[in-house]
Amino acid sequence: MADAPVFAVVGHPNKGKSSVVATLSQNDAIAIALEPGTTRKRQSYPLSVDGQVMYTLVDTPGFQRPRRVLEWLEAHSVAVSDRAETVKAFINQFRDDPRFADECELLAPLTEGAGVIYVVDGSTPYSPQHEAEMTILRWTGRPSLALINSIGTDDHSDTWERALGQFFQVVRRFNAVRAPFEQHLSLLKTFGQLEPAWERPLDNATRFLSEQRYQRRREAASLIAATLEGMMSFREKRTLTVQQATDLSDQALADQLRDQWYKNQRKKEEHLRIAIERLYQHNRIQRQEAELVWHSEHDLFSERSRAAWGVGRRYLTTAGFGAGALSGLGIDAATLGHSLGAGALIGGIVGAAGSYFYGDRLSLPVLNTGILKDGLKTASFGPVQDSQFGYVVLGRAVNHWWHISLRNHAGRELLDLAPANDHWLEFLDRQSQKIIHQVFERYRKKRSVDDKTRQNFISAITAAMNAFDQWRLNQA
Amino acid sequence: MADSRLRRLLAFDRQFRRDQAQSPVFLHRRDRRFALDCQDGHESPTVDRWLSHLQRIGQPGRDAGTVQTEDELLGRWRGLLSGFALAGVIIGVIAMAGLLFFEGGQRINLTLLLAFAALQSLLAIVTMVQSAANWQPWHPVLKRFGLSRRESPLKPLMPAMMARIAHTAGVCFGLAGIATLLVLVAIQDLAFGWSTTLSASAESYHRLLGAIAWPWQTLWPAAVPELALVESTRFFRASVDSGTTNPQLWGQWWPFVVMVWLFYVVMPRLAGLILAQIQIQIRARKALARHPGMVALDYRLETPTVDTGNQHNEAEDSPDEQTAAQLRALPDSQILIYWAGAGNPELPDSLTTGHLLTETAGGQNSLTEDEQAIQRCADLLGKQNRPAVILVTRAWEPPIAELEDFIELARHHWPRKTQIALLPYVSDITEVKIPRHLGQWLRFVERLDDKRIWVSQPNLRSPESAAHKEQPEGFS
Repeated sequence: MADAPVFAVVGHPNKGKSSVVATLSQNDAIAIALEPGTTRKRQSYPLSVDGQVMYTLVDTPGFQRPRRVLEWLEAHSVAVSDRAETVKAFINQFRDDPRFADECELLAPLTEGAGVIYVVDGSTPYSPQHEAEMTILRWTGRPSLALINSIGTDDHSDTWERALGQFFQVVRRFNAVRAPFEQHLSLLKTFGQLEPAWERPLDNATRFLSEQRYQRRREAASLIAATLEGMMSFREKRTLTVQQATDLSDQALADQLRDQWYKNQRKKEEHLRIAIERLYQHNRIQRQEAELVWHSEHDLFSERSRAAWGVGRRYLTTAGFGAGALSGLGIDAATLGHSLGAGALIGGIVGAAGSYFYGDRLSLPVLNTGILKDGLKTASFGPVQDSQFGYVVLGRAVNHWWHISLRNHAGRELLDLAPANDHWLEFLDRQSQKIIHQVFERYRKKRSVDDKTRQNFISAITAAMNAFDQWRLNQA
Repeated sequence: MADSRLRRLLAFDRQFRRDQAQSPVFLHRRDRRFALDCQDGHESPTVDRWLSHLQRIGQPGRDAGTVQTEDELLGRWRGLLSGFALAGVIIGVIAMAGLLFFEGGQRINLTLLLAFAALQSLLAIVTMVQSAANWQPWHPVLKRFGLSRRESPLKPLMPAMMARIAHTAGVCFGLAGIATLLVLVAIQDLAFGWSTTLSASAESYHRLLGAIAWPWQTLWPAAVPELALVESTRFFRASVDSGTTNPQLWGQWWPFVVMVWLFYVVMPRLAGLILAQIQIQIRARKALARHPGMVALDYRLETPTVDTGNQHNEAEDSPDEQTAAQLRALPDSQILIYWAGAGNPELPDSLTTGHLLTETAGGQNSLTEDEQAIQRCADLLGKQNRPAVILVTRAWEPPIAELEDFIELARHHWPRKTQIALLPYVSDITEVKIPRHLGQWLRFVERLDDKRIWVSQPNLRSPESAAHKEQPEGFS
């Protein structure tokens, strides 16, 4: 696309230009440091769809000698009409002058047709000292937008907004670290409004970004579903010779297998975390989360973890009834409805009763030792006997996904995955609750799951993610 | 045809498993590229094209993991099929030879042959029902041959595939039986007769045979027995007199026997084989359409890839934020310069009073005004024994090259021994802000590499200065 708009993100050094670019280009590898001059060269970040560029963001160095530049421009201009040409002339003259390297880098895209995105820090007081650089930008004659980014906690945005309104077509507030995704799209649409020809590509770009986000949610659900399947049906196996079997007591063998089982479960959960972070293009996150350690206070079966991510007996009973009824429907179908729904009812009651009595059990996986065959004996530990384990893993996974999906790429703080203090699954529709419970029960009972059920499970997890979103919204 | 669908399903599944190690972003890019190439070539992106495309561009070799190749797996199925077919031939020959065993004393009982053929028809029907109902009584056999893996994509097809094997064996059994019959007819004189304990008349037996022979009565009339033949070939095992019947008549039954075998042993199996073949095709198509990887592939082919421009990685290029520079005490200075609007009127009186000269520079001042300020300072500094200047800046604003230029120019005009203390000032000093803000100033003076320039803070005063000036409130 020859007309793909370009937006140069410019401003005073250290005001969050790179943060804005990092968030909008979903790139957490952009150096963001509280050091003026971190960005020395302009860097382009094109958004392309099927290889076709829709728009390009250009991160630029900050102004270093704005008054000197303005003085030169004023000295070489005679009328308002020649100002843009004068800026070009400045770049031509000082292209190789190290004193004005930063100014040339930041002004060059503007003389090549880029729009101006001028970034200021709304958490610091307004200062008229920035007027020299704003004047230079006005001289370029390019469509311009000012962005009030807030790096610190103070808020001087109102003053900034009034002042910037004197120099720029549009003034918007945008917190690069905290702005939700909808605001990213809204901001991009505003970029498109700077010039009529830019509206269409930016609208298209935001549409594609929305679709991509929707699909990421679905892919995250698939990843969670696959991990749940792997974790819930995981068995730690070991083959022992007769000698080994005699030397090792059952307790010692169980301890060894259990430790290995925990280790592998943690590894599976870690892989899921990384996969979801990669999906959302977060490659450098540092996490702080309670590990899946059985013995600590974050023990999956401890009261604390159970209260955080497990489900109550009432929930288990209801979901158990639904899951049982789903299975019982098979009997009704087989009798062509002549059982008058008795299959579903009986299945429901059995499922509910099982879940009700099961709800209080904190069952660890058990050690199974096989019979001696060809001088060898096999021992296995797992799969987990408690479907609560599934709810705990699901809760932790959805919680992590939620934080990642909301995290902007300008964020550099530690990702703190504190457990919840209320039960979010209540926000999930009954049908999805039934499907999740049914699948957990199947895994627990070592039964296989067909592709159709698996797809339904993924849909139910997607619904669970939406429910979590809703629950968080209600908490806020 | 069915094998090609099976091969496609297996190849797709193998690719799906191989792709699970790849990131979704990469897979989307790869498959969308393929879809766009197909679009350019006016072709539809079918699964076959997709697979051959991947094979062409990738390594077509074997997988290192546990994923079996299509040839390996289908080879095992073919082996099983051949084994059963061979067994069918052998058993067919033995069964027919047994049925036609004739040592000259007793006739070959047609009723027994008919019952055997009926049993074969029944077995064929049971196999068809078993396949339609997904019943897998042969599951242990498959397990033994390593054909029944938990995650095998052929799982939903196995009943039909097993039925195909059974029917193939049945067809071989039937054809081998016919061949044996024809050989025996040619090399022996077979004496067929009919016998039953039931008090059935020849007429009713003829009616039964007429009904049985109905399918081929027009096709091969000679194979439909006549009433006279039926009447004359009845025999009783207890009867010793069988010499009244013309011996030629005993042999006239063979065309009927051939057709019975063909229509009630071979044909049902052939029909079952065709049905199983169709079932395999339909189920293979459905299994592919329902394959978890298919939904994802369709999405990847149909949806444009959105590249947000996040390839650029400068995470390793972050500036070094360490500095050896230390804060030092404020010098006893009589000159105060406010840089870029700093300080005035925010500075406390303790800092502003007692100076002979107060100047402003940077910010909204012109460069000429800066030079004049430097000159005025130079005039005063030239008269002092210990010339020193305090340069107040806004702590939160980063030091830019303009300040560097100013200091350089000042040093050129001021006495060589002039000390310059930079005072980055924040009106609302908090513990959080000070280290963050001061770091950039300390690194700035470190870059200047001049021992007569340092950074100071209001609470760091030299003993002389402290004696000379009153300690300000709130800055202890």
